[in-house]
Amino acid sequence: MTSRNLLRVALLASSMLAAAAGANAKSLVYCSEGSPENFSPSMNTTGTSFDAARPVYNRLVQFTPGATSVEPALAESWTVSEDGKTVTFKLRSGIKFHSGVNGFTPSRDLNADDVIWSFERMWKAEHPYAKVSGGAYDYFNDMSMPDLLASIAKGGDDLTVVMTLTKPNAPFIANLAMDFATIHSAEYAKYLMDKGTPEQFDQIPVGTGSFQFVDYQKDAVIRFKAFEGWAGKPKIDDLIYAITPDPTARYAKLKANECQVMIAPNPADLEAMGKEADINLMSQAGLNIGYMAMNAQKPPFDKPEVRRAIAMAIDRGAILKEVYQGAGQQAKNPIPPTMWSYDESTVDIEYNPEKAKEMLKAAGVENLQSDIWWMPVQRPYNPNAKRMAEMVQADLAKVGITTTLVSYEWGEYRKRMQAGEHQMGFLGWTGDNGDPDNFLAVLLGCNAEGKPNGNNIPKWCDAKFQEAITKAAEITDQAERTKLYVEAQKIVAEQVPWLNIAHSTVFEPVRKSVSGYKISPFGSHEFQNVDVAE
Amino acid sequence: MFRFLLKRLALTIPTFLALMFITFVMIRLVPGDPVEARRGERGISPERHAELLHEMGLDQPVWKQFADYAGGILQGDFGTSIISKTPVLNEFLTLFPATLELTICAMLFASLIGIPAGVFAAARRGGIYDQTLMGVALTGYSMPIFWWGLILILVMSNTLGLTPVSGRVDLIKFYYQPVTGFALIDSLLSGQKGAFWDAVRHLILPSIVLGTVPLAVIARMTRSAMLEVLEEDYVRTARAKGLSMRRVIGVHALRNALIPVITSIGLQVGTLLAGAVLTETIFSWPGVGKWLIESIGRRDYPALQGGIMLIAACVIVVNLAVDLLYGLINPRIRHGK
Repeated sequence: MTSRNLLRVALLASSMLAAAAGANAKSLVYCSEGSPENFSPSMNTTGTSFDAARPVYNRLVQFTPGATSVEPALAESWTVSEDGKTVTFKLRSGIKFHSGVNGFTPSRDLNADDVIWSFERMWKAEHPYAKVSGGAYDYFNDMSMPDLLASIAKGGDDLTVVMTLTKPNAPFIANLAMDFATIHSAEYAKYLMDKGTPEQFDQIPVGTGSFQFVDYQKDAVIRFKAFEGWAGKPKIDDLIYAITPDPTARYAKLKANECQVMIAPNPADLEAMGKEADINLMSQAGLNIGYMAMNAQKPPFDKPEVRRAIAMAIDRGAILKEVYQGAGQQAKNPIPPTMWSYDESTVDIEYNPEKAKEMLKAAGVENLQSDIWWMPVQRPYNPNAKRMAEMVQADLAKVGITTTLVSYEWGEYRKRMQAGEHQMGFLGWTGDNGDPDNFLAVLLGCNAEGKPNGNNIPKWCDAKFQEAITKAAEITDQAERTKLYVEAQKIVAEQVPWLNIAHSTVFEPVRKSVSGYKISPFGSHEFQNVDVAE
Repeated sequence: MFRFLLKRLALTIPTFLALMFITFVMIRLVPGDPVEARRGERGISPERHAELLHEMGLDQPVWKQFADYAGGILQGDFGTSIISKTPVLNEFLTLFPATLELTICAMLFASLIGIPAGVFAAARRGGIYDQTLMGVALTGYSMPIFWWGLILILVMSNTLGLTPVSGRVDLIKFYYQPVTGFALIDSLLSGQKGAFWDAVRHLILPSIVLGTVPLAVIARMTRSAMLEVLEEDYVRTARAKGLSMRRVIGVHALRNALIPVITSIGLQVGTLLAGAVLTETIFSWPGVGKWLIESIGRRDYPALQGGIMLIAACVIVVNLAVDLLYGLINPRIRHGK
């Protein structure tokens, strides 16, 4: 019998025993959307893959369930040096790794070696696992970690980790709550390397999380069982992900109680879901922004008054009703209202086509011809960009602007927009770490030479704005940072680099038998505190 | 017979080569690439993009990529999935039993209902049964699979509660490891009480949905073949001998009428595999169809290319088998007359 078959027989036997012993075991089935790429969040980029690995793992810090604030996780505390360049983490003692998965039995608790191992895999090319399973660590690079990290080392004892940075960076701690910063078991990695099967590290995960990996059948199911770790025992015994790609089928399964929580409902089903007696349609303002960029490097969009006039000509109320079908709120700032430092005092641009016409005339703009780019994909922040583009086209025609609609394949679309080929166009963003820097610097920031960053789609650079956000990223005092981000938002409101369209609402239907479930602002799914009635 | 087999085999080689070339080119004509596809709105610098394409070998000229790929296939290497980093052949072999099981059940459903329905319609030509049956068959043939699947789920599962919505097993009640990949066999092997019946219940709706179009085709084909055969002299002779209608149809007519029907069943395998792509998506059926759809979205070239080639190989093999079967039944074909 091969080792794989032996493993299967062992798993089967254990599952049958478990079934016999735990006839009253509480199970929760989550209707997920697709199969994960693998179970190592450091290598993944999709929510589906992050969700699949999250029950198994923890990070040093984590986002408070249902919120964007950061709280201790594997690290019970941390201190930042006065110059902001040294962060010292104190790990909890006695943190156990899952035992019995893939034949691995840990001989020790989590310590600093595991933390260093996990970060160095993404960082150092000479790390033994750096190239295993392809070795692309997109998020680690996207969050500028290679530029930011100077060193990572053990502190005075096994439970102290010291990270030194090349410069002070306030969002750094929030970055470590993101999935890519998952802490793995260095001992499990060595066990697999010795066995000659290192690639299993990313397929059969071992972590410290509330659920232990049991089995994954591609495109069908992922199974976990409860693990009493540092965060306590979960209320459910078995967590099952039923991979169900079609949203209508997911809804049908939810109605039939074949699953109790489902991802991404079809917008057309929301009304019916709200009326179902057994379903609780949960909703929360999404941590996102949908916008229409106006390319500030292409005249006449280089003039703030022209951009403002165009913004005034567009009826966003109608867009909210027609495109978002009420599932969103009109945006007046580039960051969502659930985010700290949101500027409540911003006066939103009014819809006034007459005034817009006058302003365009005053700016010397007549018979303007432009393109409007619309995304070929549906996104939480923009459920139907084509319809939105048609509505904007009709609105702009009323003020004498002739537009043509343009679209490309999604990857091509984004690439061309980043290159600045558009005049006007739609895009958006969903936050990664709950820090305003992740919106303002990523989406509107420029480099030291005054050139827009890749994701700066309006191609707009403003020295004062840049100064404010750069300073805010380097200090840790949140009150001070808030002041700077409010200042930055005021500059955006005055300059109108883009038209803020909407922050969409995220919906998640769950059975009424489910309690303790919270919608994550980041769109992630967590089941540590969830219970299900018999 | 051996020469016939050799001739047929020789014909499959250019078919396979042409298919390999066309799919290779078509896949690369689709805008975007695997690196772009996984980036979303985050974007990527042109340098990093080029670096990742280089790592995947996608910066090579297309002709070189094709030559490498064709060389690999000749050695039985279908490449490695860009996303899962596992060999394409392994992924295919893991998922294919689910598709095969669904296809066989759909074909059984289509044949067991389609052939008798066609025979009855022919026997009562022009009558109300014939008219109704042909009307229903035409509707079945024209029905969009996606719509039909969702309607059946809403009626049979949500309203009547007769069948499960989707998947292959009740995930809470049963848990067993796939041994063969066929749910019906694995459920029996598991020894868990009720598991087999549960697997059967999960197969009902997808089999009906996938089998509907072939059912319509088989019913119509059987009817027209039967009508033709019923006009033959030997049938008239059989009737003149005083044989019962049931015996005339069952023994004399049906056997001959089945020859074109068998061919059409063989041809339906391609249709079934194409239909499986949609059926598997609606019913969360973990087969190759669903895998291919995801591979398109992710621009997983090796998985997509390998998957198409392997499915094509299956269709070619089935068609070859049908040709051989047809040759056995009808010696005129075998001798090329």
